[in-house]
Amino acid sequence: MNAPLIRNERFVQIAAPISVGLLFLLIWEIAVRATGVAPYVLPGPLTIFSALQENWLDLLNALLTTLKVTFLAFAIAVLLGVACSLLFIQSKWIEMSLFPYAILMQVTPIVAIAPLIIIWIDDTTWSLTVCAVIMAIFPVISNTTLGLRSVDPNLLNMFRMYRAGRWQQLVRLRIPGALPYFFGGLRISSGLALIGAVVAEFVAGTGGAKAGLAYMILQSSYSLQIPKMFAALMLITVTGVLLFTLMVWLSNLALRNWHESAMKTEN
Amino acid sequence: MSALKLVPESVENPPVTNGPKTRSARPVIQARHVDKIYANGTVALQDATLDVRQGEFISLLGPSGCGKSTLLRIMAGLGDVSAGCVKWWEQDYDVVGSKGRKLAFVFQNATLMPWARVRANVRLPLDLQKAAGEHAERRIDTALEMVGLSQFGGAYPRELSGGMQMRASIARALVTEPDLMLMDEPFGALDEMTRNKLNDDILRLWQANGWTIVFVTHSVYEAVYLSSRVVVMGARPGRIVEEIDIDEPFPRGPDFRVSQRFADYCRQVSESLEKASSMGQEAAS
Repeated sequence: MNAPLIRNERFVQIAAPISVGLLFLLIWEIAVRATGVAPYVLPGPLTIFSALQENWLDLLNALLTTLKVTFLAFAIAVLLGVACSLLFIQSKWIEMSLFPYAILMQVTPIVAIAPLIIIWIDDTTWSLTVCAVIMAIFPVISNTTLGLRSVDPNLLNMFRMYRAGRWQQLVRLRIPGALPYFFGGLRISSGLALIGAVVAEFVAGTGGAKAGLAYMILQSSYSLQIPKMFAALMLITVTGVLLFTLMVWLSNLALRNWHESAMKTEN
Repeated sequence: MSALKLVPESVENPPVTNGPKTRSARPVIQARHVDKIYANGTVALQDATLDVRQGEFISLLGPSGCGKSTLLRIMAGLGDVSAGCVKWWEQDYDVVGSKGRKLAFVFQNATLMPWARVRANVRLPLDLQKAAGEHAERRIDTALEMVGLSQFGGAYPRELSGGMQMRASIARALVTEPDLMLMDEPFGALDEMTRNKLNDDILRLWQANGWTIVFVTHSVYEAVYLSSRVVVMGARPGRIVEEIDIDEPFPRGPDFRVSQRFADYCRQVSESLEKASSMGQEAAS
């Protein structure tokens, strides 16, 4: 006999957040209608959805522009971040000398340095990408370095006892052991790459063919097209959620056989 | 060293011996007046002198903090000594790993790579020593068979029970065909039945393969059951207090566990432990 859907963990995992979201939208719509708030102050979900339909092509182009910067920045942040981590674990001296500068990137407000970067780099896509990389790289460096250092000391001793070289230690022990930390970093970094891209677009205020979602928001707010603004905002948040979900899926794929974070446990 | 033996034929008709009468056998490890003082000033080991001879099964027994694991790690070359010296097969540590002078270490926890299947874990020492090939595959098969895990080569460590994980860890040590096995309280975390079973297994393998074993344990019963010699250690500072020969023939089985002789040896070792403990308390006060 089939078990009721409510007992199906996978179904609940998907249905529960969707139900909460739909309930929220329903309350929002009712509240907007009941209070008669003007759509240029707070549009209801249905108005936002029709704005999305009406401006679909514009919004899609803007989304693709933002996604291009996001993915480019994310890929660079991952490659550069992992390279930095591999450099840091070569010696405590290197880590001590360079790590403060990695923190510097994390604590410097991107809004403050974005104008400079946009002046320095002529190409818009690359200037936005650099801003987004600065936002996204720190979690990769921090988590991966932590993972590469968090090796079971007994396993490390065993590698030393069998006279394993540094390369063998890295490939066979440190990198596989660091994967859960690395994927943890990716979850944070993917969202930050998107935020970095959007913030940089706000500062750059790039319009025309290279307009991203941030420019859509700016433009819509200037012309009081608030439903369109909400539609662009919604696309950003949905993209962020999808990126995070993609990272969770990748993490589960890589770790499902051995790491607690990705394993199903039965009591 | 000869290839690993798959014991069973020798277990059915095992040669009854009194264990290696090893006082005259070739020394495998010679520790002389070894001190180990950690950077924070803790004296983990003081003036430890011990000979481990070919074919012996020695247990290092003592309370927590008596330096037995420290001494074992020094024997494995995993730690420097603060004073004194250690020789392996009458030479410096560099000799370890060469033919007839192979060393394996079994940790307190199974210490398996969780991301690798059992077979890959067992293969690891061979991969690190770049000893892959058909011969290596046979050695892995043999090692898994010896510990009864032939059917579990494709499993991940998390899919095994604690006892099976420990067996996999032992198989990883066996695959190098070691001459000296250093075991740091390997069965401490297991239930008594599994522990007894693994004790019998390790005795069987030791007898069949002619290894030398140094075995760290907290348990008087385990030490007496397994060893040809029990080295009693005391704490604060860690030191060797007494060496007691267990002059009892091998193989040993359930009969020995319930014999008067077993009880007598346990009493003798326990008294020695108590003496060591009271000496430590006096020293501390």
